[in-house]
Amino acid sequence: MDLIFWAPVVCCGALAGASTGFLGTYIIGMRIPFLGICVSHAALAGAVFGGLCGLTGPMLLPPALAGAVIAALLLGTLDPQSARVDSNVLMGILFSLTMGLAFLGLGLYGVYGISDNEVRSLLWGSLNFCRWSDFYIMAAAAVLEIVVVAAFYKELRAILFSRVHAAAAGVPVVPVWTAFLILTSVVLTVNFQTVGGLMIYSLLTNPAVAAFLLVKGYGRALALSALFGLLSGLGGFLLAAATDLPTGAMIVILSSLLVGLAWAISGLRRRAGH
Amino acid sequence: MKAPVVEIRSLRVRRGGRTVLQVERLDVVEGEVVVVLGPNGAGKSTLLKCALGFTRPNSGEFRVLGHPVWPSHPPLCALRRRIGYVPQMLAAHSEMPLTVREVAAIGRTGIAGLFRRLTSSDWSIIDDWLERLGLADLAGQAYASLSSGEQRKTLIAKAMVQQPEMLLLDEPTANLDLFRREQIVELLGRLYAETGLTILLVCHELEAVPPCCRRLLVLRDGRLIADGPPEDVLTRQMVENLYGSRLRLFATDRRYAAVPVGEATP
Repeated sequence: MDLIFWAPVVCCGALAGASTGFLGTYIIGMRIPFLGICVSHAALAGAVFGGLCGLTGPMLLPPALAGAVIAALLLGTLDPQSARVDSNVLMGILFSLTMGLAFLGLGLYGVYGISDNEVRSLLWGSLNFCRWSDFYIMAAAAVLEIVVVAAFYKELRAILFSRVHAAAAGVPVVPVWTAFLILTSVVLTVNFQTVGGLMIYSLLTNPAVAAFLLVKGYGRALALSALFGLLSGLGGFLLAAATDLPTGAMIVILSSLLVGLAWAISGLRRRAGH
Repeated sequence: MKAPVVEIRSLRVRRGGRTVLQVERLDVVEGEVVVVLGPNGAGKSTLLKCALGFTRPNSGEFRVLGHPVWPSHPPLCALRRRIGYVPQMLAAHSEMPLTVREVAAIGRTGIAGLFRRLTSSDWSIIDDWLERLGLADLAGQAYASLSSGEQRKTLIAKAMVQQPEMLLLDEPTANLDLFRREQIVELLGRLYAETGLTILLVCHELEAVPPCCRRLLVLRDGRLIADGPPEDVLTRQMVENLYGSRLRLFATDRRYAAVPVGEATP
């Protein structure tokens, strides 16, 4: 294996897994997995329209980020009570809208005779082509993630339990929730470019679910979910390299296996009376 | 003279084209235990949500702890930190396995302020309330794994760790079996005896009225139809008026129950 070529790929895979797994603790904890898929498809729509405007490569990041932030803030400001629909339904509506916009944009590539290969690869990601420049951007997003979570650690714990309880206890829910939504947009958009819109969903969900099955408590769940994400990203890549199978598929399968294993362990523990 | 804790003047709340709450005047003073009784849809929960600023009235004035709720001075967050609130529905469990201690800690979160960790003094207040409410042994358990009664006690602990000046309870005995309901009623009596806290409790069951209650308000269709000591307000006519003629009032030692009337055997 050519280490110089593969070292940034391995690092990007591990970092994408850890940072997405960490974020997933909140998204799955709040039972809003649609938020992840909704924001990542909004990022795709942003990138598609950025590509239509002639942007390529890393320059697709700003429009993708703009799409993700707009979607996240829309979700954050819409009040399910006054809209009289469940927040998951609102996300479903926004998801289909962003998906529709992305496909409309892809259709326009054909109309204007532009190649859509680069933006199409965003759906699947391009982990095997990650370079150190990608790693640095992902690392910056991971640092931002740690800073925001450290700053609002206890407020996010309260919001995780219930936004109503948090607000009733005098927690400033709106600014903290908005900061979290912007963080979600940044982390998902940056990682989405490398691991792809489809795989990011499994990294967001599986490590968190596995962690919740194995430990009690906020801090432990966060740490274990990040570790499972890292193991999925790193292990998936190593499995793919050893078997010559697609990296993305291996990461998804490994993270799903971790959930299965956690389920089995938690079942055994329950039987043992823990 | 005791300070007013809740002051309502010409309050009107309209939702979906109908008036859900209309109260001309209501004052609750420091140290009172006030139960708001009424059938479903009477406007009881709306009253508590107005007190917390979750529901904005269409007109009138609602002052809590001497401050107007809308527009709020000081900001709503600051006012809410002084009020303990136990909502009607148990929180939809977060998928995250938060422990009982972590859920109770939510009550100290707003008070500690942004960018500050909970101090050892915050944690000792939390542990003290868990101990007082008999939850110390469950502190490390996942909240979701508790029984409904233990979850309700945890939410009361969450409200009490705020060291509130007023406690608002919305149907604290809803969905509990008789044993757990009695535990909560007994607990409220003990809380009042120990703290002398102003308590505003909303319920639709007579059985949930704690013996420490000295004032009962009755809401029906959003309007206040009675206000006075429970023994004066809870008459046979009132029970029939609220719940129909198939229930009979039963009262003993400041506890009340509505007992179904059996059919006469031929």
